Amino acid sequence: MSYSLVLLMSIFTFILFMTVIYLLRKRKIPVKYALIWIFSIIFILLLLLVPNLMENIADLLGFELLSNMVLCLFLGLLMFISIALTVMIASQKKKTTILIQEISILKQIINDIDNNKL
Amino acid sequence: MKILLIIPAYNEESNILYVINSINEYKKKNKELNLDYVVINDCSTDNTGKILDENNIIHIDLVHNLGIGGAVQTGYKYSYYKNYDIAIQYDGDGQHDINYLKNIIQPIIDNNADFVIGSRFIDNVSSFKTSFSRRLGINILSFFIKLVCGKKIYDTTSGFRAANKDIIKLFANDYPIEYPEPITSVEVIKRKFRLKEVAVNMKSRVAGKSSIHSWKSVYYMINVCLSILITGSRRYK
Repeated sequence: MSYSLVLLMSIFTFILFMTVIYLLRKRKIPVKYALIWIFSIIFILLLLLVPNLMENIADLLGFELLSNMVLCLFLGLLMFISIALTVMIASQKKKTTILIQEISILKQIINDIDNNKL
Repeated sequence: MKILLIIPAYNEESNILYVINSINEYKKKNKELNLDYVVINDCSTDNTGKILDENNIIHIDLVHNLGIGGAVQTGYKYSYYKNYDIAIQYDGDGQHDINYLKNIIQPIIDNNADFVIGSRFIDNVSSFKTSFSRRLGINILSFFIKLVCGKKIYDTTSGFRAANKDIIKLFANDYPIEYPEPITSVEVIKRKFRLKEVAVNMKSRVAGKSSIHSWKSVYYMINVCLSILITGSRRYK
């Protein structure tokens, strides 16, 4: 892998890392959701910084080009993260539905009590 | 026995008064029934809410639009909290015939069934005219339900259904938000409850548009069939 590519990816990973830390410090995201990103970053750094690791793995897995493996790797990582996000959204939706139902029933009951008093 | 009619309504300003009046007339004729109703106004954008307020019709205004599944579940939660013995789903668009109410609750009163579906397609009682494609869709769903739980249901999308206390509790806690009619049937059978279909009459819609449009129906069918297969493959205690 060329040095310029390693440099570029290192810069990219560093920016990603700083972004996650920034979001954490500003309390925009809880640690629970940041962990998946931090692990991903550590994984990428490992690949970048151990010399010839990437080349050897690519060879082993039968990738003709190193860049193909890097692309595949990122694609897999992103798909995994989006599935995790879909699960989170679904659970949020479920909770919102319950809240809407319970609040609406409560409003009806309060209205009932008000009308009986008057 | 305390009976509750759950009437989901979304933009039914032209039908809802007709529906409520027919229920009130039915109540006058059948005083022995301890019958209440609640309209679930699913955040209608027309005058449905205003009509319900002005006519003092008991109703719950959902604070956000939830769709038919979420609206009906609100009704089941309400019947669970208010301790009703039987809950009946009854459409707010005037399609259902209130005179079949006794047919639909009789199996529950006799303790022959836990969950009763009012069906258009048995005994030919119904004058309901339906398009070929809709009929085909209902038959496909029927086939899939038979496939996963071994029981034939003729009218898989009927929204005229009665539930006893056990089912009310089940639905209050867990009700499918999407495609609720076929999915709940599968769940009820899989959980070893007794499901029964009785013949009812349904009219064509009094006014307004049905919620199922033809251009969406293929997508709808794929979704429902997949949901039935998934629901059928779950393990129930």
